Amino acid sequence: MHALLADSTLTGGLLTLAQSDFPHALSTLTLNHYLFVSAAMFALGIIGFLTRRNLIIMFLCTELMFQAAGLALIAFGRYHLNFDGQSFVIFVLTIAAAEAAMALALVVLLFRRRESLDADLWAELKG
Amino acid sequence: MTDKLALVWPEIWLFVTTCVVMVVGLSPDLRVRKLCGWISALGLVVAIGAAVPVAHAGGLFPSITPYAKGMIGVVGLMLLPLLAGTVDRDLDAAIESGKATFSALRSNRAEFYAFFLFSLTGLMLTASADDLIWLFLALELTSLPTYIMVTISTRGTRSQEAGVKYFFLGALGAAIFLYGFALIYGATGTTDLAEIAAAFRAQSEAGGLNTIGVAGLAVALIGLCFKIAAVPMHMYAADVYQGAASGVSAMLAFVPKTAGFLAIIMLCGAVGWTHGATHDSLPAPIYILLWVIAAATMFTGNLLAIRQSSVKRILAYSSVAHSGYMLVGVIAGPGSGHGTFWDNGIAAVLFYLLTYGVTNVGTFAVLASIQKPNGEEADDIADIRGLHGTRPHLAGAMLLCVLSLLGMPPLLGFFGKVGLFTSAISAGEIPLVIVLGLNSAIAAFYYLRIARAAYLEPADEHVETRAGPIPQRVFAAVLSASAVVLLLTVAQMLMERSVTASGYHAPHAGMADTPHEALDLTRADD
Repeated sequence: MHALLADSTLTGGLLTLAQSDFPHALSTLTLNHYLFVSAAMFALGIIGFLTRRNLIIMFLCTELMFQAAGLALIAFGRYHLNFDGQSFVIFVLTIAAAEAAMALALVVLLFRRRESLDADLWAELKG
Repeated sequence: MTDKLALVWPEIWLFVTTCVVMVVGLSPDLRVRKLCGWISALGLVVAIGAAVPVAHAGGLFPSITPYAKGMIGVVGLMLLPLLAGTVDRDLDAAIESGKATFSALRSNRAEFYAFFLFSLTGLMLTASADDLIWLFLALELTSLPTYIMVTISTRGTRSQEAGVKYFFLGALGAAIFLYGFALIYGATGTTDLAEIAAAFRAQSEAGGLNTIGVAGLAVALIGLCFKIAAVPMHMYAADVYQGAASGVSAMLAFVPKTAGFLAIIMLCGAVGWTHGATHDSLPAPIYILLWVIAAATMFTGNLLAIRQSSVKRILAYSSVAHSGYMLVGVIAGPGSGHGTFWDNGIAAVLFYLLTYGVTNVGTFAVLASIQKPNGEEADDIADIRGLHGTRPHLAGAMLLCVLSLLGMPPLLGFFGKVGLFTSAISAGEIPLVIVLGLNSAIAAFYYLRIARAAYLEPADEHVETRAGPIPQRVFAAVLSASAVVLLLTVAQMLMERSVTASGYHAPHAGMADTPHEALDLTRADD
């Protein structure tokens, strides 16, 4: 990474300067570190989705899972030195935005009916 | 570029139709607005016409396009009359009697038909996907419109509740399979499905599949279980099918399920059915995962269906069970690749999707054609008691469709199920075949209960059902029931088509243009 980025006229000088000041563990970030953060975000998203009952929080948890996948895609893209991962992330962001628009519309609709965001109030359908 | 364009002509035509429908549906003239359904039908016919000549495309399943898109178009055409009158019925009546004036903000017809066509466009795009990014976008284009269709399908709170449940679990499912896609990309370094397959093949020859790749496949398959309503993501099915209008429920039972199965077939095709120790099968972790999901889905769907008193919930759980049946075909795989329909699991799944889609329209159309005195569609099993006495053609349609879903010879559903059985037997999956047979027997309980209510039980006196005011839905029911019988005459041809469609282009390791070294997680990036 040092050699690769040092060649780049855009970031070369800046990075070598920063790396001399950084602690050693941080300057040698491996793919593992990124994947660990991504997996933690994904797990937190699932746990939050299953335990929280507020509709907006539940939606934010699915967003967290989307971004976890995005982080993994970018890390893998950097690892493989191709752009498939990064272009995938652009599309993921688009879909996430579309879902956010729909989620907020639904939440507003529900709030008008029940004056609450508690998912448990919506239990008319059972069997 | 032009090659890719030639592949997506059906989708382009459907998209153009969608734009036209979106404008026409907002016309102040009621007669013009009512053209929406006809224009959608025309668009679907053109799309089928554009799909049939596409003989050979890229990707792992190069010949899947004509069969899959033709099937999607035909079932879409059958769903159209069933969806008639789902939205805007009260508004149109009020306008015709002069009590209200047209307001574009209160009318939902344009969006409803446009979202229906958008969803089918996404489904067709799924069929021709050859890339993970494409596959993800196509799956989302299939799903996003259905969330809104469920929510606006009736004016009551029940469909809104159904829409919320469907949307939130759908977003969860999408996030899960997206994470799986990310891991697959990480393990292979490409998003192209054929190159992924080549990379997996190279890893397998070099000593074993990458752990991250297998984990990614497993996560993606679990996420896709939402689309096909399989365990562990089946909980929403009954609530959503019951809360949505019958026409939309029928659509939900076909469109996302087909998208999910196409995606599962492609992902399984990317890793290949050549990893078994004793016989050819998927890699052991994926094989065990799919095996458990299939068995659990069949038992869960069928056992829960027995306990229901609502016909819609019975059909929802039976839809869960049908997903379990079809997973058996996925596990069995395409066989030798040169065989007939009877030992090709993928062809069996593709044929089963067609029979299920065609038959399923009929059961929901019968429910949609019966209106209770309070204006709601029939739902409870009491609502169809004595249907034979009051409306014999609807009872007949229900009987034929239910028996076909059950797999009674010589109806269409029988041939779909036999294909699953024989392909699983020739792949050596005897325990799974026993589970499949057992579940087909359990299913007879609740299917015959529906038939008995319609034919043998007297109508409840306090439940008065009267003819629905929408003749198109009766037409959809009769159309579906006659298709269950008439398609038998071309069943041989359809089976041959599905065998052609399942033609699996097994990749070889030298195909990828980049070397795929083992993934070393601790390699510092320098």
